[in-house]
Amino acid sequence: MFLPAGSKDEMGKALSNRFHVMEQFREITMMRGYKPISTPVIEYASTFTNEFIDMKLQDMMKWFNGEGEIEVLRPDWTTAIARALSSQEKIPQKWAYQGSIFKRNMPGVEYHQIGVEIIHHPELMGESECLLMAQAFLKEIGVGTCVIELGHTEIYESLVAELQLSKVEAERLRQAMHDKKKDEVYQIAAASSDKEKATELASLVDAFGSIEIIAEYEERWKDRENLLGILQHIKKLSEILLQSGSGEILVDLGRVKNLPYYSGLMFRGFLQSSGAICFSGGRYDRLYERFGESISAVGVALDVEVLAAQVKETDSLEKVCIIANEESIAFAENVRKSFQNCIVDVQSDSVNIDVYDQVYEIKKLNGKFEVIER
Amino acid sequence: MKPVIALTKGRLEKQFIQFLQERDYDVQPLLDKGRKLQVETDNFFAIFAKGIDVATYVEYGIADLGIVGEDILLEVQPDVFDLLPLPFGKCRFAIAGEPSNLTPLRKQRIATKYPNITTKYFRDQGKSVDIVKLEGSVELAPLLGLADDIVDIVETGNTLKENGLVVKEEMLTISARCIANRNSLKLKKAILTPLIDLFRVEEAII
Repeated sequence: MFLPAGSKDEMGKALSNRFHVMEQFREITMMRGYKPISTPVIEYASTFTNEFIDMKLQDMMKWFNGEGEIEVLRPDWTTAIARALSSQEKIPQKWAYQGSIFKRNMPGVEYHQIGVEIIHHPELMGESECLLMAQAFLKEIGVGTCVIELGHTEIYESLVAELQLSKVEAERLRQAMHDKKKDEVYQIAAASSDKEKATELASLVDAFGSIEIIAEYEERWKDRENLLGILQHIKKLSEILLQSGSGEILVDLGRVKNLPYYSGLMFRGFLQSSGAICFSGGRYDRLYERFGESISAVGVALDVEVLAAQVKETDSLEKVCIIANEESIAFAENVRKSFQNCIVDVQSDSVNIDVYDQVYEIKKLNGKFEVIER
Repeated sequence: MKPVIALTKGRLEKQFIQFLQERDYDVQPLLDKGRKLQVETDNFFAIFAKGIDVATYVEYGIADLGIVGEDILLEVQPDVFDLLPLPFGKCRFAIAGEPSNLTPLRKQRIATKYPNITTKYFRDQGKSVDIVKLEGSVELAPLLGLADDIVDIVETGNTLKENGLVVKEEMLTISARCIANRNSLKLKKAILTPLIDLFRVEEAII
């Protein structure tokens, strides 16, 4: 029997590493005051394809239900949780989730995610909590600190708002910015404004690097109050992170949003060792606007597969083998209780005993069972 | 740590080496590579691959940078940073066919190595066409009746002329480009920037 491309069975160490990541996450978020939340794996497509969310139907696992409506396998946690929370009370809330998301355009289709959503919290508090929780969690599972990159949707948005662009042109420009295609950014911008504006926008392509580059942009944007405010916000957040023992902090001031509901700070974490992205998230107040609410919302999602691959062998328990036979099963079960904090494996005598730290055999002597060390 | 650059084998490779030579880079290891597919120079590791694979190696982060034709980028749309154009590998996409004015009554059939670029171009013009994907010698298709017209890269136009075909519509001009892995560019900025700056010769426009 065969498996579709990308689908995989999991067993042994790989699977226990993944469970370890998920168990530790549950523990850490619980201890930081998060409540667990889960949403169904099947939803209506329109929850994700409406104009506020604008995810592509073509990338979802989908079918028609009996009434002719399109249903999908959950393609995104944040949107599903916003739907679930839209009717909740407006008090500060911290939610933690774990489960699969499904994307047809990625090999294997199913991805394990863990993450948190924080709503009705003051901006800086919510954002720093996301990042501090992520850092504390990475430390706990032995991955160590990662490189954090900070960006902000409104830098690009406010510069581009000064251009008169059609919807098609605006999307082309956003894509060119996303691809850091400086020549095209310049050309599109120059076609609908002057050279100075186009140059300013094109130079945003190169506005990434260590946190120190912010000083250069404070000077460059000294007459733009809103941009200075954003830089100030990023600086404050990075100070909080550094004071809490975070590693290297990068910025990309030219980052653009990939989904329309992002509205403000965006961040992600790169693993020191492989450079892989282990978490990403940001602010998405606008997601809740579709429910007629103007609220503060921020979240972070962590990639379980990337993290599980980094988990080192944890201090393993001592392994004890008790060799029994059909007659002595019940006796062996009682003997098991005398070993605390050990892995106790009751086996028949055909087992390979080399993998155990201690081996005992149950023998019947004079009509009584006795435990004999081998 | 040196950056890893994936280079497109063949014509682009020669033009790239010449480009470096003009900038006083020691390109001897690249010239002496023989049949080796990996070469180390003073400044970088080079790997040699087919254009489409250059994009894949960069997307997966095996290579930090890549030198690849824009035709590949437009056709396969890899998830990479598409940093800048290079001053070589310039050519143009065009629709070509036999010089007749007859408009076929059936749906137009186009032969090409680039089905995605072709579909998008005709869609943007509001036209539905059928596409026959070929791997080479696309010029044969209209001559033998496999397709009405072709969409292909035209450099000098000599191949078209010798086969009795003419350019019917210019589509777009392209060149070689420098691409970068999305994570490498951020995390290895210090070692990649000198190379990228070296490639940035058309900065005059910005």
